[in-house]
Amino acid sequence: MDVLEEIKKAICKVHPGVDDSKITSGALLKEDLEIDSLGQVELVLALEDALDLYLPDEELDGIATVGDIVSLVESKLNG
Amino acid sequence: MVDMINRVVVTGYGAITPLGLNAEDTWHKLIVGTSGIDYISLFDASDFDVKIAAEVKDFSPTAYLDPTTARYTDRFTQLAVATSLQAIEDAKLRIDDTNRYDIGILIGSGIGGLGSMSRQIEVLNTRGPSRVSPYFIPMTIPDNAPGQVSIKTGIRGPNLSLVSACSTGTDALGIAYKMIKYGESKLMLAGGTDAAVTPIGIAGFSQAGALSKNNDPKKASRPFDAKRDGFVVGDGAAILVLESLDYARSRGANILAEIVGYGATSDAFHITKPLESGEAAAKAIELALADVDRAKVDYINAHGTSTLLNDIGETRAIKRVFGNRAYEIPISSIKSMVGHILGAAGALEALVCCRVINEGVIPPTINLENPDSECDLDYVPNVARTGDVHTAISNSFGFGGHNSVLAISRYSEH
Repeated sequence: MDVLEEIKKAICKVHPGVDDSKITSGALLKEDLEIDSLGQVELVLALEDALDLYLPDEELDGIATVGDIVSLVESKLNG
Repeated sequence: MVDMINRVVVTGYGAITPLGLNAEDTWHKLIVGTSGIDYISLFDASDFDVKIAAEVKDFSPTAYLDPTTARYTDRFTQLAVATSLQAIEDAKLRIDDTNRYDIGILIGSGIGGLGSMSRQIEVLNTRGPSRVSPYFIPMTIPDNAPGQVSIKTGIRGPNLSLVSACSTGTDALGIAYKMIKYGESKLMLAGGTDAAVTPIGIAGFSQAGALSKNNDPKKASRPFDAKRDGFVVGDGAAILVLESLDYARSRGANILAEIVGYGATSDAFHITKPLESGEAAAKAIELALADVDRAKVDYINAHGTSTLLNDIGETRAIKRVFGNRAYEIPISSIKSMVGHILGAAGALEALVCCRVINEGVIPPTINLENPDSECDLDYVPNVARTGDVHTAISNSFGFGGHNSVLAISRYSEH
């Protein structure tokens, strides 16, 4: 599974105003994509539904970039 | 400190209604007697006793909001933002660092985000608390409407909502009028918005016995007609730009009308029924006319819901205030055409009063076919009428016993 591609799809679904060309591994959620704390919760809900996994709150604390979410999701898929 | 009493004028407005996506289209449909009521299309109403509503058709929220904000705002907020932007454009109001703290917002909603609340309660009950959207609370609370208008426009003065059921729009304008009159704000965007055409909204009003069960959509809303059997719920929003005369002059605004009074009382009687004698409603009219010569009132925009009790009580209230002259004043209920757009109703009706004053045309009360001996005034039946109107009053009454009345006059310099 291309995790980055799945995350892109989830972002485009729950944040349709985001320019999808900006969604790269290094993109900062808040500064580059303008996804605030509420938007991040909505994104996590969408990813959990799409990929059938659970992302605990405490593991989301340090998330800043799209790449951080990729790593977290990969660890859950492989774990 | 010198007491500051300002004259308050209307300089612009916006509306999205079951008759059109702006004030202009709405007005032109009203004066030819068009009904905006139809079978419900927003959800499957086949199991409902009530299968009709006055829906807003073809509204595209992304014409006014970015797609992400549109996704996380309820329809009542989307309608409020859209009509606020229309009103700002109509008033040719520029908002910048020189005035953003001088401008306030007071947009009421009778119910708030009922559709969003209903959908998220469904999520809670079927999938559990961890699946509820983080946007649920902001989407649902009534003050999300003025909040989003502030975010979208950069307005930084007072920002408020207000709830008084079907009086909401009139009360929002009335309180905004007072804030400007007494110098608390130079300009206010004020009005109401509601989007209650949802399964739970229709079911709730229906169970309260408030709605028409007439399944002929164009004939169901029939204020003051002997065969009326309830109101028809609608969605919509209307926002007016109110400002002090001095501020309007300083920015060269086009003045459309003047707000000359506001009165509000309570029935202290029942949670849904109005006081049949019309006593408290009459008092609200008198308060609205405290500084106006009663003999000059030459149009009444009725609350006129098409319920048995409202239409009789309102007729009695008008007679209490105006005596025999009540029979000479043209009265009309646009709810016969737009249905009852709840918290937006009073704001749209105030807007219509401004148009009546400026254009000399009075919209009709349609479906008035069977005389009711208790409703025997001149309700401008079925066909619009020309009339030189100087001073109009707009009545709104709401569940909980609210009686709210605005008085609006043609603007003259003296």
